[in-house]
Amino acid sequence: MSEFDPILLAVNDLATTFQTAGGPLPAVGGVSFELKRNETIGVVGESGSGKTVLTRTIMGLQQRTNVTVTGSVLLDGHEMVGASEMDKRALWGSEVAMIFQDPMTSLNPVMRVGKQIDESLRVRVGMSKADAKARAIELLELVGIPSPAHRYDAYPGQLSGGMRQRVVIAIALACSPKLLLADEPTTGLDVTIQAQILNLLDDLKERLHMSVILVTHDLGVVATRTSRIIVMYAGRIVEIGSTREVFSAHRMPYTRALLESSPKVSNDPHTRLVTIPGRPPNLLKLTQGCSFAPRCSYATDRCHQERPELQPADEPGHAFACWNPLPKTRKRTVKTT
Amino acid sequence: MNRAEPLLKIRDLKVSFGMGHHEVQAVAGVSFDIFEGETLGLVGESGCGKSTTGKALMRIVEPTSGTIELDGVDLCAQKGKALRNIRTRMQMIFQDPISSLNPRRRIKDIVAEPLDCWKSVTGTERDTVVSDLLVKVGIDPQVYGNRYARQFSGGQCQRISIARSLAMRPKLLICDEMVSALDVSVQAQILNLLEDLKKEYGLTLLFIAHDLAVVKNVSDRVAVMYLGKICEIGPSNTLYEVPAHPYTKFLLGAALEADPDSPVHGDVLTGEPPSPMNPPSGCRFRTRCPFATQKCADEEPLLSEVAPGHSVACHYPLNVKTPRKRAPRTTT
Repeated sequence: MSEFDPILLAVNDLATTFQTAGGPLPAVGGVSFELKRNETIGVVGESGSGKTVLTRTIMGLQQRTNVTVTGSVLLDGHEMVGASEMDKRALWGSEVAMIFQDPMTSLNPVMRVGKQIDESLRVRVGMSKADAKARAIELLELVGIPSPAHRYDAYPGQLSGGMRQRVVIAIALACSPKLLLADEPTTGLDVTIQAQILNLLDDLKERLHMSVILVTHDLGVVATRTSRIIVMYAGRIVEIGSTREVFSAHRMPYTRALLESSPKVSNDPHTRLVTIPGRPPNLLKLTQGCSFAPRCSYATDRCHQERPELQPADEPGHAFACWNPLPKTRKRTVKTT
Repeated sequence: MNRAEPLLKIRDLKVSFGMGHHEVQAVAGVSFDIFEGETLGLVGESGCGKSTTGKALMRIVEPTSGTIELDGVDLCAQKGKALRNIRTRMQMIFQDPISSLNPRRRIKDIVAEPLDCWKSVTGTERDTVVSDLLVKVGIDPQVYGNRYARQFSGGQCQRISIARSLAMRPKLLICDEMVSALDVSVQAQILNLLEDLKKEYGLTLLFIAHDLAVVKNVSDRVAVMYLGKICEIGPSNTLYEVPAHPYTKFLLGAALEADPDSPVHGDVLTGEPPSPMNPPSGCRFRTRCPFATQKCADEEPLLSEVAPGHSVACHYPLNVKTPRKRAPRTTT
């Protein structure tokens, strides 16, 4: 592996299909993207769009039965698809780590939080008991937990939701991963705590030189904290580009609908929200065409029959999957900073 | 909108759980009015007592003290049949759309349940009323009426909950985090539906939520709660543009706008809300407030009006000058 390769993660034509009683369910299909070192990329989409399955596939966390994964996930020179459990185990923690959605259930309730941080240090790094404890207290301090030496002995039930999420982050950071997968890290937390956790992740990313994949359904979370955004719909990338480009010069009608349907603090009371008619498609019954076509006001016959592939937009790195893209207008001038 | 006499008048409402050393005052003396035809938003962090307030209004949890007057009748003084009668005029919609519907009943029966309880309409008329309600919320009664809650998505279940709550033609609807479990596109559909029905049925809403953007979009007035008390209440535009309570300001600062050009948040509130079992003396927000002084610890600030209809409970309110006409301000 080369430390100087600017690309940390290369995902190529990744597809995850679950074998269900109702037939094959393509949860993720045809996903390709690259992630640079020290970059934060946002993945947004509604529930069922495949965001979580995508991150779990990158991490290599599927069960071995009833799942077919094809394509390639190249993480710092290691292929994750098809790797043995032993190989993956060697990468978890030091190469890639994950923060799960629910801080309430991702910790062991009958184990002191300090011990849960120790665990990976002792097993993965092979530290002595005393060293691991010292490092765990350091990590608790790093994630902003007051009186860390005291909290080391606390059980998860004695901590608030925000504190628990900090502990989960400390566990993920224990072996200094190069890539951090954060799956809805702030869902279920209060706005003030959410801001604290997001600031913490930003700060840690800079200090520890990590790359972060930030998965969320909340466009507000990714707006100011990512350099690029992936918009997913029905398991596929429908638009990818720099954050500013996706927000202000998106070409895919779904991206626009998603942006317009979220309520804004600046709206006047009783503002009518733009809605997307219908609901996300049943993945068991996907058609040949564009998955968004049944809900799209621009859809033509071609959209229903032929699936659009990602095609490049004007700005390098910006691509969208649509036969009838929105015109190339800019809602506002791009600030030069 | 009739501003003269409020539809719902709440005075010094207190709700406590537990006894003795374990007593938690979830709602610690809350007073506000809801006027006919308006939507009052109630925001705050989890544990601040906003849901308990909503439930206490319905007397799902018993208030410890205080009065709740609906159209001049004190709910806390009623019991038995009289209370049941009053309750038909207010209905509640809960957060989790799927678990708030009985999994073993068909949805047309779920919607009809209030009618069955009261035997207000029976026979074919009952079916017509149920069908009408389902059509109003956008669910085809012919196709879906006989299905069960699990066969619907979260958004559709919330529509069914709305239909059920409207069955008794209530005047007041209490919506407790009704869209927080939904995706943005579905959330927008439900919020628009609620606005339409509010107009059609002449409803008055108490909209409890933690999402500031959602609350702004539906509410005429907004009340902000912190640790069991209201710290600020006022018209939504004023409250969002010129918040007078430091807590409101920080809460708004932490709200994330879906805009890459929005300023990166410098002022983030540190720490977490203290335990309601042992609230701080004086002002409850003082432990996290950067402007707190000794006076805040010694003396509890009471809600006082800083502008017409805009009240704040703070010794050092922000953005408040001498009662001169304020130049219009724009938020950035």
